[in-house]
Amino acid sequence: MSKLTTGSFSIEELENVQIRIGSIVGVIENKIEEQREIGPTPKPGIVDLRDWDYKLLDRYEPVYTPMCDQCCYCTFGKCDLSGNKEGACGIDMKAHQAREFLLRVITGAAAHAGHGRHLLHYLIKKYGHDHPIDVGPSNLKMPVTQTVTGYRPETLGDLEQVLDYVEEQLTQLLATIHMGQEGAAIDFESKALHGGMIDHVGMEVSDVAQISCLGMPKSDAKAPLAEIGMGCIDSTKPVLLCIGHNVAAVTYIIDYMEEHDFSDKIELCGLCCTAIDMTRYQMDSGGKPSAKIVGSLAKELKMIRSGIPDAIVVDEQCVRADVLREAQKLSIPVITTNDKIMYGLPNRSKDSVDDILKDLVSGKEAGALVLDFNIVGELAPRLAWEMAPIRKKKGITALPDDEEFKELTSKCIQCLACELVCPTNLPISKAMKATSEGDLVPFERLHDKCIGCGRCEQACPKGIPILNVIEKASQKVIREEKGMMRSGRGQISDPEIREEGVNLVLGTTPGVVAMVGCSNYPDGTKDLYTVANEMLKRNYIVVMSGCSAMDLGMYKNDEGKTLYEQYPAKFLKGNLINVGSCVANAHITATAIKVAAIFAKRNVTANFEEIADYVLNRVGAVGVAWGAYSQKASSIGTGCNRLGIPVIVGPHGSKYRRALIGKPYNKDKWTVHDARNGEVMPIAPAPEFLLTTAETIEELMPMLAKSCIRPSDNNMGRMIKLTHYIELSQKYLGVMPDDWHIFVRGETDLPLSKREELLNILETGHGWEIDWKRKKILSGPSMKLDVSAQPTNIQRLCKEA
Amino acid sequence: MEDEFPFEISPMFEGERVRKGDMYVELAGPKSRGFELVKAVKMDEIKDGKFTLIGPDLSEMEEGARCPLAMVYRIAGELVEPDLEAIVERRNHDFQNYIQGLMHLNQRYDVWLRVSKDAIKKGLNSFEMIAKASMMLFKNELPFIEKIDATYITDLDEVEKELSKAMEIYNARDERTRHLHEEDVDVFYGCSLCQSFAPTNICVVTPDRISLCGAINWFDGRAAAKVDPEGPQFAINKGKVIDEIGGEYSGVNEIANSLSSGEYDRIKLHSFFEYPHTSCGCFEVVGFYIPEVDGIGWVDRDFTGTAPNGLTFSTMAGQTGGGKQIVGFLGIGINYFRSPKFIQADGGWNRVVWIPKKLKYMVSGDIPGNIIDKIPTEEDASDLESLKKFLMEKEHPIVHKWAEEEEAEAKEEPASQVPGPMSVQSLFQIPAVQMPMSAADGSGVKLIFRNAKISIDRVIVKKKD
Repeated sequence: MSKLTTGSFSIEELENVQIRIGSIVGVIENKIEEQREIGPTPKPGIVDLRDWDYKLLDRYEPVYTPMCDQCCYCTFGKCDLSGNKEGACGIDMKAHQAREFLLRVITGAAAHAGHGRHLLHYLIKKYGHDHPIDVGPSNLKMPVTQTVTGYRPETLGDLEQVLDYVEEQLTQLLATIHMGQEGAAIDFESKALHGGMIDHVGMEVSDVAQISCLGMPKSDAKAPLAEIGMGCIDSTKPVLLCIGHNVAAVTYIIDYMEEHDFSDKIELCGLCCTAIDMTRYQMDSGGKPSAKIVGSLAKELKMIRSGIPDAIVVDEQCVRADVLREAQKLSIPVITTNDKIMYGLPNRSKDSVDDILKDLVSGKEAGALVLDFNIVGELAPRLAWEMAPIRKKKGITALPDDEEFKELTSKCIQCLACELVCPTNLPISKAMKATSEGDLVPFERLHDKCIGCGRCEQACPKGIPILNVIEKASQKVIREEKGMMRSGRGQISDPEIREEGVNLVLGTTPGVVAMVGCSNYPDGTKDLYTVANEMLKRNYIVVMSGCSAMDLGMYKNDEGKTLYEQYPAKFLKGNLINVGSCVANAHITATAIKVAAIFAKRNVTANFEEIADYVLNRVGAVGVAWGAYSQKASSIGTGCNRLGIPVIVGPHGSKYRRALIGKPYNKDKWTVHDARNGEVMPIAPAPEFLLTTAETIEELMPMLAKSCIRPSDNNMGRMIKLTHYIELSQKYLGVMPDDWHIFVRGETDLPLSKREELLNILETGHGWEIDWKRKKILSGPSMKLDVSAQPTNIQRLCKEA
Repeated sequence: MEDEFPFEISPMFEGERVRKGDMYVELAGPKSRGFELVKAVKMDEIKDGKFTLIGPDLSEMEEGARCPLAMVYRIAGELVEPDLEAIVERRNHDFQNYIQGLMHLNQRYDVWLRVSKDAIKKGLNSFEMIAKASMMLFKNELPFIEKIDATYITDLDEVEKELSKAMEIYNARDERTRHLHEEDVDVFYGCSLCQSFAPTNICVVTPDRISLCGAINWFDGRAAAKVDPEGPQFAINKGKVIDEIGGEYSGVNEIANSLSSGEYDRIKLHSFFEYPHTSCGCFEVVGFYIPEVDGIGWVDRDFTGTAPNGLTFSTMAGQTGGGKQIVGFLGIGINYFRSPKFIQADGGWNRVVWIPKKLKYMVSGDIPGNIIDKIPTEEDASDLESLKKFLMEKEHPIVHKWAEEEEAEAKEEPASQVPGPMSVQSLFQIPAVQMPMSAADGSGVKLIFRNAKISIDRVIVKKKD
């Protein structure tokens, strides 16, 4: 019986008999034990990768700049922790800040894992435990999962044990938040890194499950383009709006609409990641997505206030808490489909579609909680269909008419209360004044920067519905809000990585820039466009996901083209990729893991530390989360950090008041072992940080180039990385960076077009010795250029000398 | 120095396209004449940095014009030799594209350039600027060039005259490349560039074997080794020939031993089965042994289907790589198919039993005529059954080998081994489950299942006491 495994099989003696074993419990150890090459840390617990965390945190020290000096976690307190005081439980400021951050991370991780569990329940019910996992041409189907847990899932059913592990870890981590336990900040930090890593496993399960079952593109560089923007919504049709991050319920709606000939008659659109996944659904064999994308979180309130939706379906995660209240004012019925958001609505999951429909259409109920997707699938389109004529007749919109508009704007007393509470201090008062004088332009400009939070309205002493005024004033520009987004393609395939290998080696690809996270910030679309365009022109691979992927599709060049229409979408130099919704972020870390598996043939199974060490020292990738940083984004970023990928956050990200920063002047922190013989060798401070902030995109651009430098760069790679670092600094900051020379190991590292000039600076400014005839550096660099050296931070990986 | 030029020079302009509407002037290209050429000469023949223009300059050309252009560079230096000309010449494409507002396509007699209106506006008004920038880059990148001069020709008659001379040079070079083999040289080149990602891989590049990634040939290696002899591309003294057919050389073995820290000490450059060359990860094609027919199939990155053994490129590629000697799979660069020594230890093309159609078309010129129609593609054979059938029908040479082996087997009883020089280890797990079916002796209860689906949620296994 030692060969007993889970899964499906037939037995020769039994005619047409299929046997499936769900799980095996008992003395036989699980599947992973039988497989070859198991790394040292299958299903690591909190302590198992602690040594690795300590190594990272020793070099990249946590820096805290607390937002709040108090701890209010329990009734011992609240405790003032300022001035090195301890709380009643004995915790100090550092530890508490680290604990706060851990809480953010596991909140984000739980959001993705909860999403994954919900999705998996439903997919297994519908497609069965044996439904095979299919992600496209890949040898490692689930690189993150395999690296962390050691599992190699083959079927949907196999994913359950992966989530079991994720959930166990999250519970253990959450337990440590409880008052009076961990006292060391560094261990809270280690736990946060653990939570971040766990998040990527949860995300991978979520996205791989839906890719495998819902016909989503599978490593498809030709994933279709989808329409995006409020301007592309056809409001002459009944409009059905879906908000959230879990596409499960919406697939039933799409199917129902197709089967009942509603597809052309009802305008189906979405907000946030559900919208991205709506455009991925059943697109693996080509075609054009029927659903349209409105945009990201910043458009939620604006879209509702426009009065255009005739019915709203919400699922989970980044969905405004006031959707029902706002919708109710405009007679838009709301269907909630997930136990994470119920808005106090009656549970109608067991009622008939007709009954629910009657109550909603008549206005008897403002909404309904319906957890049965079969009901949602039919109810939602029929509801939009019936509500549209009723709402049209009443002419319902929150936006004022011309007369009211004039009246409202003239009510403004210029008290500036709105600007004070605006998260981005937009000049609302000035725009009000200009509008009352007949000039709409200031509001049109402001509309583009406004993130639609609505805080201004509550501050207004005159009760002006400011958001409505902004939207009314901007009708002309809103109609022009039309863009294109490449639908999420899923994983990066093995053949693509192999093809790209030459470019990575020869330096023609200087690095990979992943722009992720939420886009809730002023000028976000334009900033994303500017950064992505600059890096793409320089042959970086730019990878997008989630809300950033959506926002990038909203900005167009002079010819009216978005970047998605300008750049191809393979994993190749100068290509622009959208991996998918936020759970697709796992494919970005998965790609780094695949690089280690493909080029170095590292064993990835249950071998997180070794793979992270490889990535930290060799893979020139950097993440950017430019917008306001949600809990989910903090767990995504922290997961990248543990794998050795640095992350830069925008001005809003600094509000978490924590960074992981290396100090280039501490020479002893910048050494590694040479795995060939264990010798200690100095390296350049690269990457210089794991998490830091950039204030402006001008500051960001050279940081991106610098963040792609790695100790193992060969001369061609280093040369091209330095070229872009210097050029971007000169272009955007107007100066040579002050530290470029510390990355120079020899003359062949120097940018080609500036070689003489730089040699000159090295000689005169830094006292290096130059042989001018041979244009060779004779002395100066603090380290040697040896491409065969094998940098590692882990001593056990070294051969004995 | 860069500041002298009215344009920026950066790799970021490599991908820059000058479209018709933005174009000030078009040079050479399909609708005109032109070429680029690098010649190695003696040190005293040239004055370093000199530029000569024959014909009208940029400033004399009208907007929207199309003009011929030839670019001839002469290089000299202690280490400069004619074998390096082609390598240096190819860089002209890269370097000129670094120049903002200048687009350079193709090479040799196919060159095609465009200058943008923007560049003219910013002050680019003579070919001298372009030539000086290019020469600066040549010297920076390739310090073995101690002296360089440039002659640009825009006069049509002159271009035509020089083009015919250039054609002779190109032909002679091609001839040399084609007829240059391992036996003609004393040094091969090792390339360890990819060790930044594949820490233990070394490519051995010979005149008969291009690097696995397809990017580095013997001449590239030679040029790079001259630039920096201690750099990632270095000379390997061939040493003694140990196995001429298999391509085993004492010098290569020594290097293999030292650079793999003793992990392996023999490499046969043209062998699939015995001490094969290691693979990195970016090989263009992977070869795989098919024990059932004792032949070798090849599959490239662009082929998305499954090979007759039921496996995809990704799956098989995943078995090789990482700088290890893996028997049964071999990664190669496409150009290795064109080598006359292509897996000659194993029978060369006679051992090839399957190849995707597109790849076959790409290398068809180098497949021997007597075998080309006997090698099936995915259209002829999709599984082992159809593969065997096709090979037998077409009388592929491998079929004779089967016959010989059968005879041999018949003589030496009992022979039950799978035919072939080696057996490939079982690399793919088969979810085989042996359920012990007891009660066969008639005792106890007999259960008969037919057309049943048995679903077991959880099996609890206990130790026997």
